[in-house]
Amino acid sequence: MPRSCDTLSAPSCPDLDAILARHPAHPRYLLAALQDIQAAFRHIPREAMVRVAAHMGIPESRVYGVATFYKALSLVPKGRKTVKVCMGTACHLRGAPGVLEALENALGIAPGDTTEDGAFSLETVNCLGACALAPVVMVEDTPYGAMTPARVASMLEKERDHAV
Amino acid sequence: MKTLSVDGKTVSVESGTMLYDAAVLAGASIPTLCRHEGLPHEGACRVCMVELHRRGTVRLVASCMFPVNEEGLEVRTDTERVRAARNFVIRLLLRRNGDSAAIRRLAAEENVLPDGRLPALEKELCIRCGRCIRACSANGTDALGFALRGWDRKTTPPFGEAAATCVGCLACAEVCPTGHISWEEKDGHRRIWGRDFALVCCEHCGEPFATEEQLAFLRAGHPSDALSPEEERFCPRCRRIRAGQSFTLEEVKDR
Repeated sequence: MPRSCDTLSAPSCPDLDAILARHPAHPRYLLAALQDIQAAFRHIPREAMVRVAAHMGIPESRVYGVATFYKALSLVPKGRKTVKVCMGTACHLRGAPGVLEALENALGIAPGDTTEDGAFSLETVNCLGACALAPVVMVEDTPYGAMTPARVASMLEKERDHAV
Repeated sequence: MKTLSVDGKTVSVESGTMLYDAAVLAGASIPTLCRHEGLPHEGACRVCMVELHRRGTVRLVASCMFPVNEEGLEVRTDTERVRAARNFVIRLLLRRNGDSAAIRRLAAEENVLPDGRLPALEKELCIRCGRCIRACSANGTDALGFALRGWDRKTTPPFGEAAATCVGCLACAEVCPTGHISWEEKDGHRRIWGRDFALVCCEHCGEPFATEEQLAFLRAGHPSDALSPEEERFCPRCRRIRAGQSFTLEEVKDR
């Protein structure tokens, strides 16, 4: 199960106060704070949005708007690693749909979902800007170029080792 | 004062006046949806586009939020290009909000027909103009905001829950151009944005004129906004009548 920190008081939870303390109490730091929260919690907990709003002196409605606007921010817990499959034109032509299908089968989830053990989230993106490497899959910051369905299993194995 | 020409007519306006207001002053008629004279302008609907000739260039601008800051601007409100831009926006609105009487009226006024190549979509009224959000923000309650983006964008209270900071004042519904925001009133209660508010009735005429939460919000806010305990008992109309009466009686007394 993806770890949920909705109460934010569990000892295993990252320290929200420390994250907030890093950002001055000004609306312009809203997105930076939300990105840090996303990185620490793997999602934006509801209570964190309330606390950020109070810290920066902005309405909760605006924090909620920003948190739901960006694809990099999620209101539901994400896996420890996000697998992004490029579905841009070049990747599409060179077999991205097959790679995506192999990933769906290997992880047992559809794009937008997270595996039971919280290890991986699967996402499709429209272009990673590395068309020469098509088809591209990105796991967190690591690009995997010229992907094939056959290479999916070894890629996941390699990333899973890192994940633990 | 700055002088500009609107469809060939010359007008002078205070510096900083929006093109829309200058054009209306010059007798032009420009359709609008997201513009509301009492709210900050956002240029969200793109229906008020006009052609601006400035320093040798011609471009389309949203007249509701383009300030007249210099001499010699030339504005055209009814050229081929303006009509094409306007009609394109109206066709898109017709496609998604074809059920809205306001959108259909606007389309009829501008002689725009639904685009036959595209099927009409969801029958919804919200056009994402943001008037309700701006009104709520201007009131200081900030109970509404946009969530999500692109096609999925919608106006909602934070976290998609009942609006915690809403005071049930209906400003959002009042400024909504399409009637998308609905509410219910029965047994002395008003229900809007997932919450119930107790209505306050005028002691004189008996008409509900505010909610308890709204009066409490005014009391807690700036002293100049708050009503006196006396004023809180009557609706604005009866308040004016009473004020008028006391005024005239005192006049008589003085004499």
